[in-house]
Amino acid sequence: MSRAALGRLCGLSAQSAATLHGGGRFVKRWQIIAIRLAICALVLGAWELAPRMGAVNSMLLPPLSDVLKTLMVQIARPSVQEAILVTALEVIVAFLIAVPLGAAAGIAIAEFPYLSAICKPMLFYVFSIPKSIFLPMFILIFGIGFQQKVAYAAFTTTFVVLMSTTAAIESVKSDYVLVARSFGATPMQIVRRVYVPSMMPVLLETLRIAMIFNFTGVMIAEMYASRTGIGHLISNWGENFQMPQLFAGVILLAVIAIAFNEAVRALEVRCSTWRT
Amino acid sequence: MQHVANMKTAGTEGHAIEIDQVSHVYAGPDGGVPALSDVTMKVRAGRFIVIVGPSGCGKTSLLMMMAGLRKHTEGRILVNGGPISKPDPDRVGVIFQEASLFPWLTTFDNIEFPLSLRGMLRDERRRRSEPMLSLVGLTGFGARYPHELSGGMKQRVSIARGLVQDPPVLLMDEPFAALDEQTRMTMGHELLRIWSTTNKTVVFITHSLTEAVYLADEVYVMSPRPGRMIDHMEIDLPRPRTYEMMATDTFGRLRDRIWQQIRKAH
Repeated sequence: MSRAALGRLCGLSAQSAATLHGGGRFVKRWQIIAIRLAICALVLGAWELAPRMGAVNSMLLPPLSDVLKTLMVQIARPSVQEAILVTALEVIVAFLIAVPLGAAAGIAIAEFPYLSAICKPMLFYVFSIPKSIFLPMFILIFGIGFQQKVAYAAFTTTFVVLMSTTAAIESVKSDYVLVARSFGATPMQIVRRVYVPSMMPVLLETLRIAMIFNFTGVMIAEMYASRTGIGHLISNWGENFQMPQLFAGVILLAVIAIAFNEAVRALEVRCSTWRT
Repeated sequence: MQHVANMKTAGTEGHAIEIDQVSHVYAGPDGGVPALSDVTMKVRAGRFIVIVGPSGCGKTSLLMMMAGLRKHTEGRILVNGGPISKPDPDRVGVIFQEASLFPWLTTFDNIEFPLSLRGMLRDERRRRSEPMLSLVGLTGFGARYPHELSGGMKQRVSIARGLVQDPPVLLMDEPFAALDEQTRMTMGHELLRIWSTTNKTVVFITHSLTEAVYLADEVYVMSPRPGRMIDHMEIDLPRPRTYEMMATDTFGRLRDRIWQQIRKAH
């Protein structure tokens, strides 16, 4: 699977990213930023005004200011803080399991053609199955606690990491290896001086996409069956028709997810100035 | 190392490259695929040799063998008097098609890549790469990345990278094939200028008959697969070569002779 395909899979257009940091004229960039801010203001303004003017049912969509007030109240509650902590831990642990596991499997598949010939079609088939259908099995095996969230999220994420690691290795041009060999590079030097830098941008993007899948995995598992975590809270608030709380939860989650995504992306842009 | 140094001096007197009855068969699913058949070539030190031949005739394979990047089944290849079983940057520099610069390295770092592989320190590397950069006419472009350079400039960097370790032999595999016609002519001319100041033995592979005659002291013509040497001619045009020479009868005759040989072999 290519970088672009992975990007599309997650609703992230590689095109827009490219025009963003490749974008030439200064004036145009400011224009784009201004228009973006205007759109945000418009959406948020509509969110605030529409329920207040009765254009939409304020039971279904509470005004933004109410939601933000609820958010502040909720964040101050120890039970919510604990839920945030649990979710964050689940996300981190699952990530720490899935990334090395997927990367190791991806390297093995890219480097051993025999193994690749056997496993690749099967892995692609399994990759195409929606992982959520396996959730009941995870609950039977791991219960509905911390372990189950981690196991399920790591399971879904491992596949993504595996696929893109393989793609990253296969993306290294054989020309580069030949050049290095012609200058007498040892196999270790070829790995360190050619493979690693050549794969770096794809690997960083892999991390970012893996985190998206990982976060989603934890959320789905928490919303499906659990006793704590933000996903559990959101699902509960929804079922009890507590709309301000529900939207507060959504905003909280969105902010956390975007913050992480942008952090990895900032690193990625720095490391991939040569990709044009 | 002493061994190599001795061979270097020996090479300048005699042959820089000796290819003696080299044949090569690729292992295939039903037996072998013959790629090269009984190739013999003797290249005197300091000469500019061009090998011309149709696609897939095995000329790149032959070049890779001279570079120690590929094995051959039969015969003997000596570079600077010694066999070359693996790449040896002290004896041979290779310049590839498409420049193949590392996109994550600046021009300086690309040129210094071979030096850094041997653990040379940064200051010493820079001291060696700067004259190379000016030799290929790119002074001031050292901090640029490959994507900020034009096709011709990239190929100049690639030449500088091939020259930085000062190998006596330079092998070039269709280095200008990806360039447009005008850039290609300019680069050919530039290459001759660089060559005339460095005293290297060059083996240059190309599809272009004009390029072959314009650059070479000697042209070898190869047949379609399995590649054999079907012609060897001296290009007795005076040096330095000029663009005007392309319009002369001698140039046209030489060019036509190569073309006839290639056509006959098909």
